[in-house]
Amino acid sequence: MPHSEIPVIETNRLVLRGPEPEDYPDFRATFSSYRSRFMGGPLNPYESWMLYAAEIGHWRIRGFGMWMFHDKASGRPLGMAGGWQPASWPEAEIAWIIWPETAGKGYALEATHAARRYFYETLGWDGAVSYLDPKNLDSIRLAERLGATRDVEARTVDGNDVCYRHPSPAALRHSQIADAIALEIAHYANPQFQPQGYALD
Amino acid sequence: MSLEIPTVKTDRLILRAPREEDFETVAEFAESPRTEYIGGPQDRFGAWRGLLAQLGHWALRGYGMWMIESKETGEAIGRTGVIRHDGWPEPELGWVIFEGQEGKGYAREAAEAARLYAAEEWGFTRLISQIHPENGRSISLALRLGAVQEEEAELLGEPCLIFRHPDPRGAEDAA
Repeated sequence: MPHSEIPVIETNRLVLRGPEPEDYPDFRATFSSYRSRFMGGPLNPYESWMLYAAEIGHWRIRGFGMWMFHDKASGRPLGMAGGWQPASWPEAEIAWIIWPETAGKGYALEATHAARRYFYETLGWDGAVSYLDPKNLDSIRLAERLGATRDVEARTVDGNDVCYRHPSPAALRHSQIADAIALEIAHYANPQFQPQGYALD
Repeated sequence: MSLEIPTVKTDRLILRAPREEDFETVAEFAESPRTEYIGGPQDRFGAWRGLLAQLGHWALRGYGMWMIESKETGEAIGRTGVIRHDGWPEPELGWVIFEGQEGKGYAREAAEAARLYAAEEWGFTRLISQIHPENGRSISLALRLGAVQEEEAELLGEPCLIFRHPDPRGAEDAA
């Protein structure tokens, strides 16, 4: 990227910012565990470190990358979300991973939704995909909650993954899916909140 | 956190930040048997991760590896600088010269400049270099740089010799 600063994004419950040295232990813990099996893991400490450093280098080379997202109130790191496009990948993808024990609270949805909005509105992307392992049901479910659908025509990374295509900025604007995402996040943020209409899950 | 990467110039070389344009050169090197003593060979994805990590290391540690560029041709001819990856006992002076660029004294010229910069700017006055015992060319360069073997150790499951460099400050002319 032309300048060295990684943008900071705030959402209702989260702060997204560049990966920092003090966030590395959580990253390593997840990437050395079975939890990272759909993202090339488990990795040894050296490989985790190289991947973590690469997350930052990606911002410099591509002008976008993965944010570390934190709970706004406590500062606790919860996972990563953002964009990712290694050399020779067909398209830029939107990716996410959450640390153990933070699943089930809608954090990944909230972070990924904010990342996608940044790519669309600030960087001017006209679309994005997510390359998912077909066995990674949690991520497929999240892709669907984000309004992405399986694109069987699209090239995949290596044939072992499936391509989910996100709705374009135009398709997302004032759409039912955009309202559904906002509603779902609001529901997680405030358990007293009563969603109107259909159940979301 | 900052990604400011300094530039260092020597008689024939420029030490500078890695760039995306370096990738084909780096990937070709990563896939070649020349990497057998530094954890390779690696596929293109591994090379890509390595190039990005080279950049990210600067942000995480405040120091890192430069690309070595030839002033004459503008080509990337290798890497040198200081690294401390996860699992490293302390910061290390490293160097690598790509295919076809060896035998011209580039590695020594670049590593000396990096070592001096590391001492003056980062306070690393007695760096180590971890070298595979069968990597004769790197061992002889370490010795020519005035480093002495300190111990035998292991790095990422491979044997390595740990060399300790002298304090380079004020000794550039003595080399």
